[in-house]
Amino acid sequence: MSSENKQWIEVGNTDQIDMEDLIRFDHEGKTYAIYHIEDGFYATDGICTHEAVHLEEGIVMDDEIECPMHQGIFNIKTGKAMGPPVCIDLKTYQVKVEENKIYIEI
Amino acid sequence: MENNINYNIVILGGGQAAAHAATTIRQEDESSSLAIITNENYLPYERPPLSKSFLLNKVKESDFLFYNEDHYKNLNIDILKNEEVINIDFEKKLLESKNKKITYTKLLIATGCKNRSLDLENVNSDDVYYLRDINESIQIKNKLDLAKNILIIGGGFIGLEIASSANQLGKNVDVIELADSLMGRIVPKEIATIVKNKHQKNGVNVHLNTKIISTTKIDDGYEINLSDNSLVKCDMIIVGIGAMPNIDIFKDSPLKIDNGILTDQNNKTSIENVFAAGDVANFFHPLYEENIRLESWKHAQNHGVAAGKNITGIKTEYKEIPWMWSDQYDLNLQLTGRCDQYDSFIKRGKDENEGIIYFFIKNNKIVGACGLGIGGKIGKDIRLAGMLSEKKVEIEEDFLSDPSSKLNKLLKK
Ligand SMILES: Cc1cc2nc3c(=O)[nH]c(=O)nc-3n(C[C@H](O)[C@H](O)[C@H](O)COP(=O)(O)OP(=O)(O)OC[C@H]3O[C@@H](n4cnc5c(N)ncnc54)[C@H](O)[C@@H]3O)c2cc1C
Ligand code: FES
Repeated sequence: MSSENKQWIEVGNTDQIDMEDLIRFDHEGKTYAIYHIEDGFYATDGICTHEAVHLEEGIVMDDEIECPMHQGIFNIKTGKAMGPPVCIDLKTYQVKVEENKIYIEI
Repeated sequence: MENNINYNIVILGGGQAAAHAATTIRQEDESSSLAIITNENYLPYERPPLSKSFLLNKVKESDFLFYNEDHYKNLNIDILKNEEVINIDFEKKLLESKNKKITYTKLLIATGCKNRSLDLENVNSDDVYYLRDINESIQIKNKLDLAKNILIIGGGFIGLEIASSANQLGKNVDVIELADSLMGRIVPKEIATIVKNKHQKNGVNVHLNTKIISTTKIDDGYEINLSDNSLVKCDMIIVGIGAMPNIDIFKDSPLKIDNGILTDQNNKTSIENVFAAGDVANFFHPLYEENIRLESWKHAQNHGVAAGKNITGIKTEYKEIPWMWSDQYDLNLQLTGRCDQYDSFIKRGKDENEGIIYFFIKNNKIVGACGLGIGGKIGKDIRLAGMLSEKKVEIEEDFLSDPSSKLNKLLKK
């Protein structure tokens, strides 16, 4: 998709996501994961690249998300797959916060 | 390549622990010569797909190598494939395969496990399949293409995973298990029953408390009489009755062995400059204050990393909380901590849809947990249970048993 087609979509309020946690956000048939970490809010694809499990049930540690199924780890900021069993990176998305509302660019 | 070779560091066995140890050694030590010796014809690879996604043709061999060829080349790690070490002389620091003599200064033993075998009367051993490595998985795959009726002997994790895969490939499957519950004693009966029901709902015949009475060869396979009075016709037999550490070559050596190679918390064996890691090691766990041996993916990785550090002289105490999983159909089962030594348990959740977890409790603290759920349902709580057990946090039954309470709150206390 070219950047012109991208748009900011409202995800919810900042107080909906605890610090060091994430929520699932579904939009037009796709699932995203929205994280709240020390450095702010971040967004990635919501489904693990290993075996298609929702990351929603995963655990956030510092700036990493650990998949609930086989403990594959991704960097939240870059989407990088940190090692086996995951080897394909997660897609990441731009996030902005305005008046306590979170938006992602998709 | 020469037949007499010397390396500073040799890793015997080319599986998961070996791959991670070698890579870690190179992060700390760029100059020592380093080799992995394996009897397999492959670079180190993950075994979990062998009974699951690989059998289901969802992944190919190259998808589950830990690292590709370039990784080892770039790190200057020699991988000697198809070299079965048949003799070892710890005094001379010498390993021997059929054609090679390899000397070392430091040795890491990471030979993993081998399957227990079973003698079946009237059955040609070529007709009996086992699963541990890629070649065996390929053989099973090829035979599954032709076979219709599969008998699986042993209702442990690997047998049941193969049953799940064979069922998904449209085969008729019978599983027989000697005990009165699947997956051994450490999985709570309620959870084992949910798994059994899932198999049965999908059409797998599960025979508990059952042994083989007699086997007869028939034209296109075998007719098997079972102690539960059923008669099973099969054209393929797969045995999954557990594994034991690969230690045969050390039998007449001074290396101390007791259910695997005994090590301390730093991967050190009873012999100076000889280390062990992964499935083959019966290691001292500082948290549990006794030796334990694990057969699990995560442990093989982390124990390998710790061994790599310890070999290069960075003293690293290994005290990870045990964790493993098994996937069958859309079910994901996980075990963490100690699931065999507890006073009582606390249950959370009622079924696989909600996620069901048994927390094992000793002295009012979690020592382990076993959970079952669809997809990743129970992963987070199992992970947190592991962390709570490590931190020895006191727990309250009402809080733990309520699926809506967030376990990470306890960690932050
Ligand atoms: C089919 C299957 C499915 C599994 N699924 C899961 C799962 O879902 N979840 C989970 O947590 N764990 C699972 N495991 C367990 C996990 O794969 C193992 O715990 C892990 O592979 C152990 O790593 P290791 O390096 O200790 O040994 P291994 O990976 O077994 O490697 C040992 C290597 O040493 C070689 N070797 C042995 N003796 C010699 C010799 N004399 N000379 C040369 N080479 C030798 C062997 O051939 C092998 O290549 C599974 C295992 C199997 C077999
Ligand atoms: S499904 Fe995420 S690590 Fe396997």
